[in-house]
Amino acid sequence: MFFAQLKNELWKLFGKKRTYIGFGAFIFAQTLMLMAFKLTRWQSDMERMLSGNGYIPMEFISALTVALVMLMPQIILLMPLYVSLVGGDMVAKETEDGTLRMILSRPISRVRLLLVKWIAGIIFAVVLVLALGVMAVGLASLLFPWKGLFVFIPGQAFSVLPADVGSARFLLAHLFLAVNASAVLSIAFMFSCFNMKPAAATILALSYLFVNLVMEGIPFFDRYENWFITHHFKCWLLVFSDPIPWAQIFESETLLLAACASVFILGATAFHVRDIKS
Amino acid sequence: MIELRNVHKKFGSRVAVSDLTLSVPRGEVFGLLGHNGAGKSTAIGMMLGQVWPTSGEVRLCGHDVTAHRARALHKVGAIFEAPAFYDYLSGWRNLEILSHYTAPTSKERIREVVDWVGLTGREMSKVKTYSHGMRARLALAQALLPQPELLILDEPGSGLDPEGIAEMRETIVRLHRELGLTILLSSHLLSEVEQLCTRIAVLNKGRKVFEGLIADVKAARGRVMLKTPDFAAATKLLNERGLICGTVDGKYISLKDGRTTTEVVSALVNAGVAVEGIWQQDQTLEDFYLSIVKKPPPVPGSN
Repeated sequence: MFFAQLKNELWKLFGKKRTYIGFGAFIFAQTLMLMAFKLTRWQSDMERMLSGNGYIPMEFISALTVALVMLMPQIILLMPLYVSLVGGDMVAKETEDGTLRMILSRPISRVRLLLVKWIAGIIFAVVLVLALGVMAVGLASLLFPWKGLFVFIPGQAFSVLPADVGSARFLLAHLFLAVNASAVLSIAFMFSCFNMKPAAATILALSYLFVNLVMEGIPFFDRYENWFITHHFKCWLLVFSDPIPWAQIFESETLLLAACASVFILGATAFHVRDIKS
Repeated sequence: MIELRNVHKKFGSRVAVSDLTLSVPRGEVFGLLGHNGAGKSTAIGMMLGQVWPTSGEVRLCGHDVTAHRARALHKVGAIFEAPAFYDYLSGWRNLEILSHYTAPTSKERIREVVDWVGLTGREMSKVKTYSHGMRARLALAQALLPQPELLILDEPGSGLDPEGIAEMRETIVRLHRELGLTILLSSHLLSEVEQLCTRIAVLNKGRKVFEGLIADVKAARGRVMLKTPDFAAATKLLNERGLICGTVDGKYISLKDGRTTTEVVSALVNAGVAVEGIWQQDQTLEDFYLSIVKKPPPVPGSN
């Protein structure tokens, strides 16, 4: 029964046209990024940086490098926005549409219903992140060769990796990005469980992330950085370091997974005690 | 099948349902009446475990809804006003999704119910292409899938055209006759309730103001139409003589228990008040409903 219910939740999620419009928007944005990299000074600037650090640019201006460049703004901006939209819809939209009342005239417990929905949401988040990675690599491969990976994020990462190691790390990074996406989805999902409109749940989730990001950027809060969820979101970049700081990654991932579980419990508690009215 | 004992529900400081006690035995078609905001939907919400009662006990099919919601709702189907579906999915997929929240449901069972409600041939179309009547049939289908013993209908005729209302009425009769279901019907359509229900309860401002058999309501004496040149003076006199207990719309009088129209005519004629006409009206459910939710205005001259 649990898997049948989960399958149905996935039907609901992936049966909507809007879901695919989102994926389409990502492809569009990635194509723009690819064109911008290819046709502006972006590529030559990167080549200069590589040669300035003693590397042969042609060995590292590759499909993997460009895919990562294409992914970066999507991970920071579009992915949280889109995942929040989906997470904010999951319960609140059903309440708004009246379908939740239909479901809750059935003998399913509220906690189980939420659990099924949340797991469906997590599956969606993982599929989205994987799709983003595959689309980025696929598009970049059309214009760039499969060679080494160069990662540069000012103040955060500078790594040069051979193709085989680079692709493994690229894949590993997506595992942690999936956890990030799941955490964003869980926060929006939690707000969605309260008595509010879907848009309000999405806005609250994004506001929470924005406040975290802003506070984390204020020097006064440097010593409290571990308290900000956005700080832990950056741990996916650590997989490109050599050696990989596993302890730091483990700490951040544990915190993110705990945050996912905590916000789910909070949302489920709020949902359990509230009255569902037409 | 349904037992509500001293149920009370408050939303903040607003009392939605107050001290509601209700009992619907197996096999009955029970009508729940009341104006908008009277507490009908809140009461139904509490029966289905969607609204938590502030105090009191709600039992369905012998199980406490608050403590054992899954057991209480296992053999219950429900239809709401303006039934909502996943419009972007087919009717069949909607039925699969909703039925799986109760128990695994075979394709044969879904097919059987689709046939029963008359949706065969359209079950694979997306729900957004359905007419209002087809949505009502789909709502009925989803309610029947778990093979319920109790069906709760919250304003099922809302938004339907006269043909749709007639079809809904026939369907309810079939459900009761062919499947032997116990039915709780909440509706504004008093004529439907009058034709379908064996017993009713009336809610007014969250309180139950009446519970009884439809047959008793119909048998009860109705109001009396009195035609006289000076209605106000006539009713003042009748009130002083202790013959009436109220007036309605400036042309009807309500007789006190044991009083007859002959006594009214006699009192008026003896006092020199002309009587142009007087006749007893048959009481419809609407008359009865209005008489208990709208208190009759005080008779002129009475305290």
